[in-house]
Amino acid sequence: MTIRAQTTFEEPVDVLNYALTLEHLEYSFYRDGLEQFAEEDFVDAGYAAVVHEYFGAIRDHELEHVETLTTVITDLGGEPVEEAEYDFGYTDIAGFIGVAQALENTGVSAYQGAAQFLIDEDALLTAALTIHGVEARHAAYLNGLNGASPFPDAVNPTLTPDEVLAIAGPFIVS
Amino acid sequence: MQIHERLLAEVSAERRRLSRRGMLSGSLKLAGGAAIALSLSNVPALRTPVAAQDFASDLDVLNYALTLEHLEYAFYRDGVGLFDFGTDGFGQSINDNLAAVRDHEGAHVTTLTDTITQLGGAPVAEQVYNFTDAYASVDGFIATAAALENTGVSAYDGAAQFITDPGLLTAAGSIVAVEARHASYLNLILNEVPFPASFETPLTMAEVLEIAGPFFA
Repeated sequence: MTIRAQTTFEEPVDVLNYALTLEHLEYSFYRDGLEQFAEEDFVDAGYAAVVHEYFGAIRDHELEHVETLTTVITDLGGEPVEEAEYDFGYTDIAGFIGVAQALENTGVSAYQGAAQFLIDEDALLTAALTIHGVEARHAAYLNGLNGASPFPDAVNPTLTPDEVLAIAGPFIVS
Repeated sequence: MQIHERLLAEVSAERRRLSRRGMLSGSLKLAGGAAIALSLSNVPALRTPVAAQDFASDLDVLNYALTLEHLEYAFYRDGVGLFDFGTDGFGQSINDNLAAVRDHEGAHVTTLTDTITQLGGAPVAEQVYNFTDAYASVDGFIATAAALENTGVSAYDGAAQFITDPGLLTAAGSIVAVEARHASYLNLILNEVPFPASFETPLTMAEVLEIAGPFFA
């Protein structure tokens, strides 16, 4: 378990490891799901072929986030958290897409809640926000795909690490 | 000189410069990254705009954001009702979704105005804008909306580093996420990839002005 119950962070590298924990979760989710479901499975389930293509793009983004955060944490002298074992509980494509929506919306709110702890680190703050925006783009698309509004609020909800843990924790097996 | 006065002065100068270059109608594309330098040298994806101190205070950042939110809100307020946009790929009404976008921008204007006032600042007022080209066709409207939203994300991302108050930073984050959601959707309506890169592109105020300037009448 790598997300500690806490509402603050001691060091910038701790914020980055928090972000990396969530990015590992997301990347492994898409990597494994897209190994299980091919384009024809998406089409058979009633989705356009481009949906499969966009899921591939999202997976690639999450991998880049994992690699970038790992590099930066290492450069800062920290120890990057590693991928854990997860169980996302889906059994079909609709379930997979539903979990994707939950993960991305949580990711946006998580970055938003953690950004203030990078307020004295301009470059790291900016980097975190440039990831945060991409998670928000993913979330909007996945909302629409699940029949929800892409942008349900004028002001995006912010979550503390404790609140994120309550949502993401159940996916983490060990 | 207040930030919005400076902004408008720069807009005016930028217009003259773009006009000389004959670019007034073709400046929707994102400006190049000439002023963007690598801040974490071995992580090329992470870029922090290196700007002269664009903002002297949190109030300056908020008025910069408000300037862009006024532009966005006026664009949708005066334009959403001009067209029947049809249905998107999700089976949702594009008009309904654009009305939601309009309402979000209106809420951002109100929130920023109130916050600036509470902090003792003078909120910048709505200006007169020129959306003639944007309102000439559905495609023009959607392309302009997408340009405004994508630029908005980059503007917030470039300016956030100048905010010193943690509460204001979180508030700015909760607005930029919504702009990114809008940008994703508008890209999709434009038949472009909703999330074209793994990182957003932060822009300096000067870069944002190059894109937004032509809309100021």
